[in-house]
Amino acid sequence: MRRASFVAALIAMSLIVLLPFVWMVSLAFTPQEQAFGSLSVIPAQPTLDNFVTAFVDANLLRALANSAIVASVAVTANCVIAVLAGYAFAMLPFRGATPMFYALVATAAVPVSVTLIPLFLMIRGIPLTGGNDLFGAGGSGLLDTLAGVVLPYLVMPMNIFLARQFFSTAPVELAEAARIDGAGEWRIFTQIYLPLARPLVAVVAVFSFTGVWDDFLWPLVSTTSADTQTVQLALARFLASGNVQYGPLMAGAVLVTIPVLIVFLFNQRSFISGLSDGSLKG
Amino acid sequence: MVVVIRPRRVATSAVVVASALALSACGSAGPEPSGGESSGELSVWFPGTNQTEIDLVTEQIVPAFEEETGATVEVTFLDWGDMSTKLNAAFAGGTAPDVFGHGPAALADFVANERVEPLTEYVDRLSAEDQDDLADAMSGGQVNGTQFLIPLSLQGSLLVYNADDFVEAGLDPANPPATWEDVYDVASDLTVRDASGTIVRSGLLLPSQPIGRQQTFAFLLHSAGGQQLTDDGAEAAFASDEGQRALDYFTQLFSGSDAVSAGLGADYSNAPTAQQPLVLGTASITLLSPNSMQQVVTAYPELDLRVMMPPKFEGADDGHALGGAGPGLMINADSAEKDLAWQFIQYMISPDTGAEYTQGIGAIPARASAASTPYVQDNPVLQAFVEAAPLYVTNPNVPGWVQVRDTMDKYIEQALNETTSARDALDRAAADVDKILEANR
Amino acid sequence: MAPAAVYVIVFHFVPVVYGFVLSFTSYSPLSRSGPEFVGGDHYTSLLSDPDFGRALLITGRYVLQVLPLTVAIALVLAMLVNRPFKGVGFFRSALYIPHIVSLTAVSMIWLWMYSQNGLFNEVLSFFGLPGQAWLLDEQTALNAASAMRIWKALGSNMVLLLAGLQSIPKELYEAARVDGAGRWNLFRYVTLPGLRPILVYVVAMDIIFLAQGFAEIFVLTQGGPLGSTTTVNYLIYTEAFQYNQFGSASAMAFVLFALIIGFSYLSMRGISGRRN
Repeated sequence: MRRASFVAALIAMSLIVLLPFVWMVSLAFTPQEQAFGSLSVIPAQPTLDNFVTAFVDANLLRALANSAIVASVAVTANCVIAVLAGYAFAMLPFRGATPMFYALVATAAVPVSVTLIPLFLMIRGIPLTGGNDLFGAGGSGLLDTLAGVVLPYLVMPMNIFLARQFFSTAPVELAEAARIDGAGEWRIFTQIYLPLARPLVAVVAVFSFTGVWDDFLWPLVSTTSADTQTVQLALARFLASGNVQYGPLMAGAVLVTIPVLIVFLFNQRSFISGLSDGSLKG
Repeated sequence: MVVVIRPRRVATSAVVVASALALSACGSAGPEPSGGESSGELSVWFPGTNQTEIDLVTEQIVPAFEEETGATVEVTFLDWGDMSTKLNAAFAGGTAPDVFGHGPAALADFVANERVEPLTEYVDRLSAEDQDDLADAMSGGQVNGTQFLIPLSLQGSLLVYNADDFVEAGLDPANPPATWEDVYDVASDLTVRDASGTIVRSGLLLPSQPIGRQQTFAFLLHSAGGQQLTDDGAEAAFASDEGQRALDYFTQLFSGSDAVSAGLGADYSNAPTAQQPLVLGTASITLLSPNSMQQVVTAYPELDLRVMMPPKFEGADDGHALGGAGPGLMINADSAEKDLAWQFIQYMISPDTGAEYTQGIGAIPARASAASTPYVQDNPVLQAFVEAAPLYVTNPNVPGWVQVRDTMDKYIEQALNETTSARDALDRAAADVDKILEANR
Repeated sequence: MAPAAVYVIVFHFVPVVYGFVLSFTSYSPLSRSGPEFVGGDHYTSLLSDPDFGRALLITGRYVLQVLPLTVAIALVLAMLVNRPFKGVGFFRSALYIPHIVSLTAVSMIWLWMYSQNGLFNEVLSFFGLPGQAWLLDEQTALNAASAMRIWKALGSNMVLLLAGLQSIPKELYEAARVDGAGRWNLFRYVTLPGLRPILVYVVAMDIIFLAQGFAEIFVLTQGGPLGSTTTVNYLIYTEAFQYNQFGSASAMAFVLFALIIGFSYLSMRGISGRRN
């Protein structure tokens, strides 16, 4: 009884939430001229042309590869550095930790319109790259390289914040006991707290991946050549002002969603109820 | 034959035509290199992401150009909507390309900051015939009489009406109204209401969405004999009797029991083809770009849609439509390869390339002589838009124009919603606009 | 950690400081002369700018109406999918999808759903109700944008809260059950306190990002009708990238920044309460 109503609620919510996405999928299979022509979800004359167009015209494979590289680097860096930093803020109080932490979080409150150009100038001015001299002058730095695209994402302050919040609930007694046993800090982190943090690492991975995958503005200004295009830039090809190509756009958008979905599906397995079962056993 | 805007198919045919044209472009239409063999590199940010133009540029123009000049060209395609953001960063960082494209609205700001190269000398070197042929388009790329932008196409929107609706309402579709007053009367006859009095089919639907409002107002203003700014571009000129006449007319379309339009603020200009009011049967006359109209005509051949020449207000000299220069190319003032850059632009505007380019994107050709090309000849829709070309007026090219436009737009919206009178809205808009123009001088 | 600290300082603090400095200058990225110092002029003129004041109010209303709903719904969803059953992965993904679909693509769908002959009006007319001009009416436009934002933000909040639920030791529930606690009391005295740290994060982040609401406004309403959806960040974007006035855009950004920090700090204090 209760189970039935619970499942019904879940199905209903999922359907409502998925509705716009279902329409996207439908349009992806609808010929361009018929886009938004009917209320029916099943296209009258389904076609695969839009997917072909998306792959060929937008060079989607290259873009998917580029975005995958950039996102994977960002995920790895965030899962290591941001998680460690969050742990340090929560468990290893050091001088100036609190103000530094708040300053870090506060940077997220500055609109990107303001920070975009300074960031651009910095990536251009990285010394000894892209024809630059030791002082960062003369060349184009890391502009128009995947390294330049990924650099600002390596450590996202929000992830540090999240990790700190997560570790702040972890029992301190475990660390104290281990210290008495003579364990080093690194061992305490890797052997005791990291295993507890699987859901956290999963969230950081999912969010880092999604954030990098979705960003449009930074790749737009920092890359120019076709070789460095990311997925959102590839999709923009179908968004010409006043002449949107709905079919290929939706087909591309659906395709581009799939890798993120896979990353999510893989990581969501870490959200297993009862994982924290052993947390107090030490 | 009407060209279907279906990227793959057009693209394939473009490749075939391209190889043939490439040869002729090198041989006859190709310009003489001004500075001998160059081994330079040219970067181009192209204003458009249409697959046909991408194929045309990457498969025809660039290879032919590279072969002739020995240069290497790197082209990046961007929708001109994304251009400002990217150019701002690039100019700040000194990494802007040699050639870049944008809409004319942003032109004067680049000029005011000395970021773009004056092109008058280059244009003067074109043959008199070419200059004449391109005259309609070129004027939209000038600031204070100096050429800075070379438009790749013309744009313009015209009134398009459903002839069957005319017949049904007892009107003669062969004789569309010629004055705005008559348009209103016709629209009243065409307007259909339901039992509750709500308009279910607008007799006339002019764009009233953000930016569209300012364009509709300018369209009406010019047809009433007025203009947006003074000739020197220093002050607002729209707060005039003509301006009031235009804005009152615009407001009256949507207001009260005599309204002929529903959906104030709705953006149909950018709506999908199947959601166009003429397709849905929710309007009998709308304003459309040639590209949108061709898409409708192609997808719905059963609709008898016709183009109306721009009406004028009674007593005014001529009807006008807002149009003229479309997005075009500029040369970075800091470019080390200006001659090469100009050669590239010349390729783009050569008769053959220009014709194929505009055909590919469904726009109005920049050259007057293109009226005799098959693209125009075989396409009644386009013919009408080309025919109206002399009546197109452009927005003024003054620094700060984007802000001026948005300011006008804001006050026009208030008048349309009748939160303020037309006169009051125009006066307040003029005061703000004068301040913006002053600050940008 | 030293390289990481240097990295954070360079890539996260320097651009902010640079932006702050710009807010005291007049600067167009197109200009050749660079920033020109104008002191606090931009800030003083913001004080008397009615458009900016109105945008602040609209932004405030936007945050206040989106935040509680999105957190509450996300919490319900997180609790629904916080149990192991076959197919839970499917439901979790389904609920997370809105967060990962391309905003520009999906906004086309929302525009259509809100349009005159769109899905919402078709549903209304099915029930014999008159259609609404969702995005064209001053009364409904901000709510319509809010609905899309709630939809978009649900998934990420759900995932965070889900992870938060994992961190509550099961023993606490068992102990409470032994003490005879009912479902409500379990929620009230075990779940909520256990979620507190993550809830602090969710609320603070939602305030920070909602107060910078821009993309959904840009695609749906462009700030209209009659300025009723013009948020502060929309003004900032227009000022910076449409009008090339980075000085005044930065000044607006730092006023917004100060308010965001103030409110998130207060709400963080409010939720964390006394630490147990």
